[in-house]
Amino acid sequence: MAEIIVETRGLEKIYTIGDHQEHILRDVSLQIRTGEFVVISGSSGSGKTTLLSILSGLDRPTSGTILLSGRDITGLSEDQLAPLRNVETGFVFQAFHLIPSLNAIENVMFPAELRGDRQAAGKAEALLRRVGLWERRSNYPQQLSGGEKQRVAICRALINGPKIVFADEPTGNLDSENSRGIVDLLAGLHREQNTTLVLATHSPEIARRADRVIVLHDGRLAEGAENS
Amino acid sequence: MLHRRFLIRELWQGRIQALIFVFCVALSLATTVALNGFSRDVDRSITGDAQALHGGDIIIHSHYPLSPGLREAVAGQVKDGSVETALATYEFYSLLRSVSSDATLFANLMVIEEGYPLYGRVELQSGRTLAQALKAGDVVVADEVLGRLGLQVGDRLHVGSTDLRIADVVVHESARPVDLFNLGPRVFVAAADIEAIDLIKTGSRVEYDMLLKVKKAEEVDGLAAALKGSAVSDQERVETFRTAGSRIKRFFDNLLFFLSLISLFTLLLAGIGMQSSLTALLREKEMTLAIIKALGATRAFLYRHYLLLALLLGLVGSLLGSLAGLLLEKFLPLLFADLLPPGGSFEFSVFDLVEGLALGLAVVVFFTYLPLSRLNRVKPAAIFRRQEENGGRGTVYFLTRLAGLVFLTILVVLQLKDLEIGLWFVGGSIVLILVISLLTRFALGLCRRWTAGPLSLRLAMKSLTRPGNASRSIVVTLASALSVLLAIFLLENNLRQTFIESYPADAPNLFCLDIQKDQRDGFLDLVGGDVQLFPVVRARLRTIDGKEVVRERDAVRRGDSLTREFNLTYRDDLLADEELLQGRSMFRKDGRGRIGLQVSILDTVAEMGDMKMGDVLGFNIQGVPLEAEVTSIRTRTKSKLYPFFYFVFPPEFLEKAPQTYFAAVHRDKAAIPALENRIVATYANISVINMAETAAELGGLMQRLSAIITFFASFSLLAGALILVSSILATRLARVREAVYYKILGARSDFVLSVFFYENLLIGLGSAAFAVGLAQAANWAVCRFVLEIAVRPNWPASLVMVAATMTLVVVLGVVSSIFILRQRPADFLREQGGE
Repeated sequence: MAEIIVETRGLEKIYTIGDHQEHILRDVSLQIRTGEFVVISGSSGSGKTTLLSILSGLDRPTSGTILLSGRDITGLSEDQLAPLRNVETGFVFQAFHLIPSLNAIENVMFPAELRGDRQAAGKAEALLRRVGLWERRSNYPQQLSGGEKQRVAICRALINGPKIVFADEPTGNLDSENSRGIVDLLAGLHREQNTTLVLATHSPEIARRADRVIVLHDGRLAEGAENS
Repeated sequence: MLHRRFLIRELWQGRIQALIFVFCVALSLATTVALNGFSRDVDRSITGDAQALHGGDIIIHSHYPLSPGLREAVAGQVKDGSVETALATYEFYSLLRSVSSDATLFANLMVIEEGYPLYGRVELQSGRTLAQALKAGDVVVADEVLGRLGLQVGDRLHVGSTDLRIADVVVHESARPVDLFNLGPRVFVAAADIEAIDLIKTGSRVEYDMLLKVKKAEEVDGLAAALKGSAVSDQERVETFRTAGSRIKRFFDNLLFFLSLISLFTLLLAGIGMQSSLTALLREKEMTLAIIKALGATRAFLYRHYLLLALLLGLVGSLLGSLAGLLLEKFLPLLFADLLPPGGSFEFSVFDLVEGLALGLAVVVFFTYLPLSRLNRVKPAAIFRRQEENGGRGTVYFLTRLAGLVFLTILVVLQLKDLEIGLWFVGGSIVLILVISLLTRFALGLCRRWTAGPLSLRLAMKSLTRPGNASRSIVVTLASALSVLLAIFLLENNLRQTFIESYPADAPNLFCLDIQKDQRDGFLDLVGGDVQLFPVVRARLRTIDGKEVVRERDAVRRGDSLTREFNLTYRDDLLADEELLQGRSMFRKDGRGRIGLQVSILDTVAEMGDMKMGDVLGFNIQGVPLEAEVTSIRTRTKSKLYPFFYFVFPPEFLEKAPQTYFAAVHRDKAAIPALENRIVATYANISVINMAETAAELGGLMQRLSAIITFFASFSLLAGALILVSSILATRLARVREAVYYKILGARSDFVLSVFFYENLLIGLGSAAFAVGLAQAANWAVCRFVLEIAVRPNWPASLVMVAATMTLVVVLGVVSSIFILRQRPADFLREQGGE
């Protein structure tokens, strides 16, 4: 059996807005194994995005523990998390979040350049060719369509060969044709490179393609927490 | 309909940009209001009363005793009653000596007839009038005379060939409100002592004036015209108090005019700040505007509210600016200390406040109408897709810009009260701003395409062109302000080095004027050592190659006049600081070795009169005509304070002419006072000028003027700083977003910080580099073509400015961006709701 890449124990997340406290995640404990394609599903407001951002180290839980590749990342500072975000994980967002001042290839190259990879340009070219955007490499984000932006974002998430890629509603801002293309791309890369893929969505169609579906309900795990 | 709650909420939400807008309006007005008020103060207390300044209704001026014809004409007007009083004054410089000690002082002597002054007043320490205090055998002196000679009222002073008693001390003199252009302090001598002092001799540099008080004010011009008819042309000047020039008035008029040009420049840059902050405010409101439009708000609704918002802020800014200007006006006398008379009247004026408010609102209207046109460009569809709409650049766009330009020009011309200079100013400012703007555009284009260097530097370069960044506005305002500041500094430095600091150490530092022919040998014995003695023959230039030299055509070119009286000299050789520009020797010899009637001229006078080699110059040497051919053109190689002569003749033609001598002596600084004392004790009529002291005083004046100009020019820097802060705040969201993206992708805080550091460093470097380039170009052009002095680029000062600018911009920029580093990625993404 493959080793565990992500493990959480008793995760809680509470937001305080003024005097009001909102409990977003309650006692979430789960494990994800290397090479798995896991979908986190649930209705709006169930806590999918919050869970994903905590798993990827973008946010901190109020309590509980997260282990990434066996290392406890719960208490790490922003700067300690930086190399993990750069090399170990990749993130694909619903709203793409491309850097507006960089063109397509520069956006893709950025994480590799950040780690001082001299092959950054070559890797970015290979990825952009793979997703059919090589001809659009000099275009800036505002000159790209939604589908194109998301393909660039996926290339960017993959350039450093992360062990795990997190994707938050990657098709949420796309039409059905583009959505299908993006899911095919992610699933294909997962298969070819044995990358662990954790994807938050409420699309049953995408969930059907996953190895496992974790369902969240009011911040609690309703099903799929353990590997079968 | 006005939606008050909407207006208040909009104002509150955009309060930081609104605050910057208000500061920009205030900044644009502060110096202008202060200077307008200050000019009125100066006019009121110094230069406003022309009769008091000139001392009469009609002023007759000559360097010679007045001609009998003119004297008779004046006497006739006094006799027929049209002139109430006419009195003569004699003004000249001489060395005074304390009777009780060896101390000497170079002073400005004014010998006056009873009744002086006809207008204005000479305030004395005792409270008496000048007529009551100044009797035969007395002098009334400036306080400085007592201080420098260690004397008191009642002590005796050696003046010329006699001793006079100090009767009183001058506190204020309306004809000489400030001591700017005087080589020595004032000493009044009664006309009854004129023979006793025995200082007025042939060739002495005495200004012979006659002041007339006319009975009927309306007859002033007619009586002056009648006197002009009796005056010796080119020798005696008859002016009325309205036409007579005053060096003091000219000095203040010029200085204040120049300062108002600088304050208008600040206004222009602050205007760019207003545009920038209002654009930022509207950019922040873009989504709100789109939503309001989607809900059915008309264009008129938006214009009404935002125009009112801009006017409200403009009004607050104008009020603040006017008050700041009035405060500054109170402070200006401190800045102008030593240039203004003590106890001047500086009053608060409601008119200044009202004028400031009106000017402020006019400026606000001009600088806000372009940003407000954004209201048209925001479409309801922006709710769904945020994108830049450039808007059509059709006829309407260019017409509105043209209308704005006309409005600005009118505003400037009204402020300067001078159409020609107003047009030059607007044109020059626009060219300066356009040049910097184009350079910045080119540089930003380069940054966008730059691919070399560390990642953080490349990102910073690209960030400079992020949407909403006011990089170009920041660079344009900072570079414009800095270029003006640096150009002023460089020019002052060049002037100082040329006229003061480069004065050779071994050059003459003591000049003695008016040495009579019979005093020559005695003077040489007295002074001893190495003395350069120059014969001086006074004459006028009448013709150049047969064409008469006319005052109107001459019209003071290069600050000098060909119709004035010149000092001619004669010698065979070049001076140490001279070399020949044209001609193989100063004078040409014919076949038999004789030198004909020739003259060697200085290049500066050649240029003034378009004189060339071979031209025949006609002179009038005290009534005797003389014609000479130009056989060489000389130029000077060292300091301009070294003695020089425009016209040099071969000795044989001028040796017999009436002449005095001018001596240039170099002595140790410490030995000068004793030597001065010896000279004045032996030859009272010889004027001695301590050039080292004069150069130091001139240097001090230049430094003070430069400090005043720099003080005003520094306000324009504030405009640049305000735009920088406004831009950083306006792009806060974009910066946070970028920082979050960098962090998500694995960047550490120091990387994010280095991107911001480089970004601001580039802005500072660009602004400073453009400023240095333009200032050096201006410095070179002005030194080379206007001042005609050697150009010294002073690169260390330029480098200091570059370093200081970069430090300032980096500190301001990084400090304003530091909050971004604390932002956690997930918090930001959640706040943005995954846009």
